[in-house]
Amino acid sequence: MNIGNRENISTINEYETQLSGLYEEYYDKIARYVYVHIGNKEEAEDIAGEVFLKALKSLKSYREQGVPMQGWLFRIAHNLTVDYLRKMGKRRTVPIDSVALPGNDNPADTAEKNIEFERVIEAMKQLTTEQREVINLRFFGELTSKEVSSILGKSDGAVREMQRAAIEKLRGIMGVER
Amino acid sequence: MMAEDFDRILDECIDRINRGDNLVDCLSDYPAYSEKLKPLLQSMHDVQKTYTFTPSADTKRATRQKFHAALGKRRQMTPVLSFFKVISRPAVWATVAVLVLAIVGTLVIRPLLNPPTLIPSPEGNFAFLISDEPNDIGDFESLNVTISRVELQAAGSGKRLEFTPEIKTVDLTQLQGEQSQEIWRGNVPAGQYSHVYIYVSEVKGRLELTGQTVDVKLPSGKLHISMPFEVTADTVTSFTFDITVVAKGNTGEYNLKPQIGESGAQQEQKPLE
Repeated sequence: MNIGNRENISTINEYETQLSGLYEEYYDKIARYVYVHIGNKEEAEDIAGEVFLKALKSLKSYREQGVPMQGWLFRIAHNLTVDYLRKMGKRRTVPIDSVALPGNDNPADTAEKNIEFERVIEAMKQLTTEQREVINLRFFGELTSKEVSSILGKSDGAVREMQRAAIEKLRGIMGVER
Repeated sequence: MMAEDFDRILDECIDRINRGDNLVDCLSDYPAYSEKLKPLLQSMHDVQKTYTFTPSADTKRATRQKFHAALGKRRQMTPVLSFFKVISRPAVWATVAVLVLAIVGTLVIRPLLNPPTLIPSPEGNFAFLISDEPNDIGDFESLNVTISRVELQAAGSGKRLEFTPEIKTVDLTQLQGEQSQEIWRGNVPAGQYSHVYIYVSEVKGRLELTGQTVDVKLPSGKLHISMPFEVTADTVTSFTFDITVVAKGNTGEYNLKPQIGESGAQQEQKPLE
């Protein structure tokens, strides 16, 4: 085995270790990220698991990407989500019944919360695709804006600007005084 | 410029909230922006609250097992794939042609020379862990040890079995005292064992004080412990191999050594399937 080959294997081994280490921290975040897109918790959990398997199979291509590994995982998650939605034939939104309402208050409170959640979901739908992606990666993937910028191929400043504009838009649509 | 500042502050507050900080703390750090920040961060909270959910522990466990099984399988395959990559080159074919007789000879005795390789399994009866007995580890900011394979030698017959760790690189600074890290789990034939060998391919140490990398020696490339232990079929045997780093006087060099007193096996009941 020549040195180059040995180095390649050693790098791949390091990536495998790195990927294995990211599982605990990022599985939940990826599942939430997918959930926001597809609105189905069970499917989101399965897709999150699939992301890690797919990453393992594609570790060789990771070296060419030049993004942090967690960012790369979200790229894979995005692609799998798009595939899933394509198979489903339509973009689903989160059905209000499947949103976990905290506590089991009286019916009036529950109804009020339902309205509030519906308003958030409606507001999210009004964002542009890129804005929604930034919000999803920042709020649910909990990636930094620098990591998001490497995924979207934009500058950090552009991501921060897009983030602010998206939140202002959400605020404007949700528009509730608290 | 002002807008850029605000974008940056908003971004920082989002990071802080993601890390578990609360909204009020962030607002109080930026009183000049507080009025503008508050509704935006409140919206962030509302959005997160709406979509949040905790994935089921059962599904997470099942997918984790699937992932580790795939990882183990892949690590078994890697040397084989590399082998095919190498032999596909013309220069290697020429060498092969010249050495063919020798190879045939080697193939006959190879099974006798190379220990059988054990397959990892998350439900296996044997777990192998690494730990660090603190000696001079305090000198290090990080001390990464890469283990290429581990061999177990059966008592009596002297027959050896080997496995490739699922986690190859461990940072000993994170494994001090009671801390340990499982690097492999799988099925090992029940029986008495007497020796454990760890083959180390790389040691990278970074000093706490200077941040410089330092030479950590392991002349033979392996660590060896002679210790009798038993592996049974119906329990999980966890073997902890303790490694310690010791300074070589005032030379600025360090040695890696096995720590037999802190190493050993213990048994526990296998979890129900």
